[in-house]
Amino acid sequence: MDTFKVLIVDDEPDFLETIVKRLKRRKIDVTGVESGIRALELLEQEHFDVVILDVRMPGMDGIETLKEMKKKRPLMEVIILTGHASVESGMQGMQFGAFDYVMKPAEFDELIEKVRQAFERKSIHEAKIKETKIKETRIVT
Amino acid sequence: MPEQSEVFTLISQRYVISLLIVAAAVPAWFTGGPLFVAGLLLIAWAAFLSTRHLVRQILRTNEQKCSLDQQLIQSQKLAAIGELSSGIAHEINNPLAIIGQEVEWVRHILKEEKVEDPQQMSELKESLFEIARQVDRCREITHKLLDFARKQEPLIQSVDVNRLVEDMARLVEREAISKNIKIVRSYNKDLPFVLTDSPLLRQVVLNLLNNATYAVGKDGEVTIETQMGENGCVNVLVADTGCGIPKEDLNKIFDPFFTTKPPGKGTGLGLSICHGIISRLGGRISVVSEVGKGSAFTIHLPGGERKGEA
Amino acid sequence: MSSKARVLIVDDEERFRITLNKLLAVKGLDVHNVGSGKAALEELGQRSYDIILLDVKMPEMNGIEALAEIKKIDPQVEVIILTGHASVDVAVEIMRLGGYEYLLKPCPIEELLEKVDAAFERKMDREKRMSKAAATRTGPAS
Repeated sequence: MDTFKVLIVDDEPDFLETIVKRLKRRKIDVTGVESGIRALELLEQEHFDVVILDVRMPGMDGIETLKEMKKKRPLMEVIILTGHASVESGMQGMQFGAFDYVMKPAEFDELIEKVRQAFERKSIHEAKIKETKIKETRIVT
Repeated sequence: MPEQSEVFTLISQRYVISLLIVAAAVPAWFTGGPLFVAGLLLIAWAAFLSTRHLVRQILRTNEQKCSLDQQLIQSQKLAAIGELSSGIAHEINNPLAIIGQEVEWVRHILKEEKVEDPQQMSELKESLFEIARQVDRCREITHKLLDFARKQEPLIQSVDVNRLVEDMARLVEREAISKNIKIVRSYNKDLPFVLTDSPLLRQVVLNLLNNATYAVGKDGEVTIETQMGENGCVNVLVADTGCGIPKEDLNKIFDPFFTTKPPGKGTGLGLSICHGIISRLGGRISVVSEVGKGSAFTIHLPGGERKGEA
Repeated sequence: MSSKARVLIVDDEERFRITLNKLLAVKGLDVHNVGSGKAALEELGQRSYDIILLDVKMPEMNGIEALAEIKKIDPQVEVIILTGHASVDVAVEIMRLGGYEYLLKPCPIEELLEKVDAAFERKMDREKRMSKAAATRTGPAS
């Protein structure tokens, strides 16, 4: 499956608009939301493969959002893209399951490459689970 | 959970088309022949059937996606419970001992002393404050333990180690500069891509870099290198000009909970987690150190072809 | 009986040793506390103690090393080790070095007081026996 769905969560409306536009131009199916709460609501209804998440947002803390996302959709990969980068939030983010941690401003091509890698990881993960399930049913039968 | 917007769009599109066809069929009945109208109605019916089939497919795919997530959550929980007990017993006893004592002290004051006395009142408040503080400490410990216990099965991808290492170096550099610590890089340009788990490797590299800058404190250097090792191994070296590690501690530093930081500050899970992760990636971590000179940690990763678990 | 016991608490957790100090003091014991093995050895140079409550896991000098050093300065002092985890080899080492007992943290205060009482009694008995033996050796004439 070469098409995948991306969700971007960022409270800076200008940044959000620009990056959504640029991703769409590269033919990527992308949705942008302005808050962690909105993102979690959306995740109740839709599946995404990769999330690009800012961690310093008012309202729901970015790390809290990340934790909730990994709880609900552990297979979905999250890339943290933040202007408030720090070693501590990097370590925290990755400890709580983020695939990568990127500082703003980020090279757009690099970001696309990371999204592709995140999606690849998700696919490998799904394949692995399916394989385990098949093995288990074989053992049982 | 069905993607309602998708389903809605599909259904509405198909029904609108079908309705239009039927709407066209009515005047056609009067102008054209019955066969023509029958054809149109057939098309409408076919559209309806294919929509129903598509909707079912979408619902099934979404069900599958949900169940995969559920399976993963379940297996993670089981792994965590198994490894938790001994770790908790060990580290939580200190905060628990303090809480126990504060409770004894509060009991003593309530029984033996004049509670109205402002001095005694402040003792009571202090004890409660301390209890709350130790509970917080326990919470941190159990959370870190849960992360430690969660066996993160490596997911193997082809990784550009130079890129990965440089990303982490840049992250650390931001704060290092303010402490006048220089990050020196030396990357092997011909380094092959490595089959490994990139987020896990990232965590280890970041941990080592963070330890290195902490060891230096301020005014010093942290060096990060990528090298070709023996037997096609790929090495990542993180060296610092910090305080160094005393010889008697060298074989303890990868133990869980070993730490030289004061109680409450960092539970020392960093290096033991790193060690566990690199072992699971088929590699090892080695260290050389000299007190007063600095330390150098090397991650040795198996390079080249590796039978991935995927 | 233990109201005359002199107790030294050695633990790097400040709040732990301060509150324990208060709890033992209101029971009538003569208590002091220090934050490291090194400080304990210095304190023993200044004052003598009957009982030492010694934490195992401390930076720089751990409890086992401190126990060995303490016994060199004052072989008669009774040392009770307080530990967050139990392990057979640590227990064996403690006994070998002359430790009285080890207690697992967290330890209820009554249990700790019982051990302190028992250790103090043992010390007093031993000292009585030693002074009796010394008196018999020198003979009634002195």
